[in-house]
Amino acid sequence: QEEMSLKSERRGIHVDQSELLCKKGCGYYGNPAWQGFCSKCWREEYHKARQKQIQEDWELAERIVLFASTCSSSVDYHLKARNQWFSISSTFRSSDYLGFNFRLQREEEEAYASSQNTQGAQSLTFSKFEEKKTNEKTRKVTTVKKFFSASSRTGAKKAEIQEAKAPSPSINRQVSIETDRASKEFIEFLKTYHKTGQDIYKQCKMFLEAMHRKRELSIEEQSECAQDFYQNVAEKLQTRWKARPFHHISKANIKLLCCGPSPHRSMNSVDLRHVSSPGMGFYLSVSPEKVEKVMDQIEKYIMTRLYKYVFCPETTDDEKKDLVVQKRIRALHWVTPQMLCVPVNEEIPEVSDMVVKAITDIIEMDSKRVPRDKLACITQCSKHIFNAIKITKNEPASADDFLPTLIYIVLKGNPPRLQSNIQYITRFCNPSRLMTGEDGYYFTNLCCAVAFIEKLDAQSLNLSQEDFDRYMSGQTSPKKQESENWSSDTCLGVKQMYKNLDLLSQLNERQERIVSEAKKLERDLIDWTDGITKEVQDIVEKFPLEIKPKNQSLAAIDSENVENDKLPPPLQPQVYAG
Amino acid sequence: MDRSLSSLPPPRRKAMLKKNMASRRTPQQEAGSSTEQTYVYKVVLLGTTAVGKSSLAFRYVKNDFRESMPTVGCSFFTQLVCLETTTMKLEIWDTAGQEKYQSVCHLYYRGANAALLVYDITQKATFARAKLWLRELEREFLHDEIVIVLVGNKTDLAAQREVPLEEAEEFAKSKSLIFMETSAKSNHRVTEVFMAVACELLKRERQKEPTHQPQPWKKSCVDLQEPSNPAKRCCRS
Repeated sequence: QEEMSLKSERRGIHVDQSELLCKKGCGYYGNPAWQGFCSKCWREEYHKARQKQIQEDWELAERIVLFASTCSSSVDYHLKARNQWFSISSTFRSSDYLGFNFRLQREEEEAYASSQNTQGAQSLTFSKFEEKKTNEKTRKVTTVKKFFSASSRTGAKKAEIQEAKAPSPSINRQVSIETDRASKEFIEFLKTYHKTGQDIYKQCKMFLEAMHRKRELSIEEQSECAQDFYQNVAEKLQTRWKARPFHHISKANIKLLCCGPSPHRSMNSVDLRHVSSPGMGFYLSVSPEKVEKVMDQIEKYIMTRLYKYVFCPETTDDEKKDLVVQKRIRALHWVTPQMLCVPVNEEIPEVSDMVVKAITDIIEMDSKRVPRDKLACITQCSKHIFNAIKITKNEPASADDFLPTLIYIVLKGNPPRLQSNIQYITRFCNPSRLMTGEDGYYFTNLCCAVAFIEKLDAQSLNLSQEDFDRYMSGQTSPKKQESENWSSDTCLGVKQMYKNLDLLSQLNERQERIVSEAKKLERDLIDWTDGITKEVQDIVEKFPLEIKPKNQSLAAIDSENVENDKLPPPLQPQVYAG
Repeated sequence: MDRSLSSLPPPRRKAMLKKNMASRRTPQQEAGSSTEQTYVYKVVLLGTTAVGKSSLAFRYVKNDFRESMPTVGCSFFTQLVCLETTTMKLEIWDTAGQEKYQSVCHLYYRGANAALLVYDITQKATFARAKLWLRELEREFLHDEIVIVLVGNKTDLAAQREVPLEEAEEFAKSKSLIFMETSAKSNHRVTEVFMAVACELLKRERQKEPTHQPQPWKKSCVDLQEPSNPAKRCCRS
């Protein structure tokens, strides 16, 4: 019996002792997670392969740079480079080095981001779409990579450090163009502030260095550092610019300031400080706007540099959330403006134009690096939405109209990396911009829209639960049903198609008419010739040919030598007697 | 719960931003003269669709009614108010009032300093909705963190009144809210509403100033002791 149970066990598992051992034969047990190696051998193997990969990576990168420099126009470069990437990366895909593949795609993405700036607006939407696609690809790869590096921590880490030390030149090139520009602009800007400018620059440098050291920390901690930095700098600027004028003003001026409320001041009066007396002039320089302006530049400078490390970092689940939202929006593709009660009529060409612009703006948000630029995209999008509503309703939009329309725009545009962008902005935007002001208002609206989309249900679309479920599962689409009722109302493309179909059928009809008329003409012609022939025959029959004898003799004169022989012989020369 | 929404910044952030906002003011105060202070306040408008939230704001800021105007959008306004020696900047945030957006509304009043609960005096349901909003605000804020004003709009349609003045007054008193009835269309007491808000905000700022540190344990005490209606006194000054 014991033997039996042992046998059945064997049958159940089917593992030979030798299969469990390390493939290298070092005597330790292997692990399928390490491709059958033991941990030690796997590390060695992996490391070796990794080294080789890095070597190849370098060569490849050099090739690309060389290649890039030969391509003159950026669009050209972009297209060709892409092709080359594919051909190259496909060869690598066969090997298992996902980490490398991931990097390839990352680079591709970066190249995209920078080439976008140079490309015209035309290709924008296309490249956006492409980017989205690559994003998804990379995402898949990263999760695998995470798993990968977790199982063989030290080896991968070492390799990664090496990678970090020697990033491929193509990345450096692409990124540095933008960061260099940002630095140059920042320095130019600070020159106008003389000493204060130098100070600011020093502080920013120090902050960036500190952030570099803190790269290992969680993103929340990094965010806190950035927020503290903003706050400190803003405070310093405020005290500095406030304190300095005080050294220069006379006591009389101080008195002027301190004495009670000025007579100009009335309830509701708008910004008296800007039309104040010369004695108060110095106060203008301390206006919060000036500090804000500098703060904006600081934000631009540091965030252009930090973007790479703090946007959608691997330590968070931002990427996953992005995917969830993206999928969700995709699943909701069937939502119509009518369901959301959107007060926008896209049949008006101007309105649909605005809608397209709004969608472009919200998609463009992803391509910006500085949080404030991203906010500006949202604001721009909102402005277009307001215009669209205004044209439709002939009345300015209130928030009651605005939010549904924004939701509709987000659903229609499905902006890439939406959650990552929102998180990035909340983490690293200058808080005074985010919590107050118009930008902050529109940003909050976008957050509301996303939150609404996340928890959108049948009730919020005024649908029955069954309908909602059916639409969500993709069994039917409301458009299909409604198209029976009002066919051309759905979307612009379909509308155009219907118009074209209509034209085609009209053309077809005309052609048929032409053909039939041509046939008729042909028939008519045949009839006509037949008729003529008949008529001629009739006439011929009616008036048969009569041959008159006289006519015949007359005609004989002209006939050729008729009765020639009857003529007398020709005259012959005769010889007379002689 | 709504708070667990992924698009929300972590709760920690809320506290931090507040800290930042508060400290944005401090340097201006420290720098000397009390004559020059600019406070920025966020005022949210809450209320069911078509009770006249936007019209109210528009009337206040542009002194016009919403039916006839060239502006593109009217959901975000700023208005500078000078009270005594202080310049205040009111940022007025209009919100979507449809019931289906109730669940995301808390994002709007995050970090708000004042809230206007607007209802339509000709529609009882809008008053009930205002009460609902109040409950949510009470859940989100401590009582002295936010100035809440109950506004009954459309007094120009008094003939069709459904919400009695007394009832609303009584309710406001029991919850110690500022209460006013207005008409955005005929420009009745619109400016007064916002001035009342400004006065109350300033008063609270003054109360905070001498101690320089908010004392959380004191907050609730103050509320219980003086449920008076200081706004009326203020806006008439």
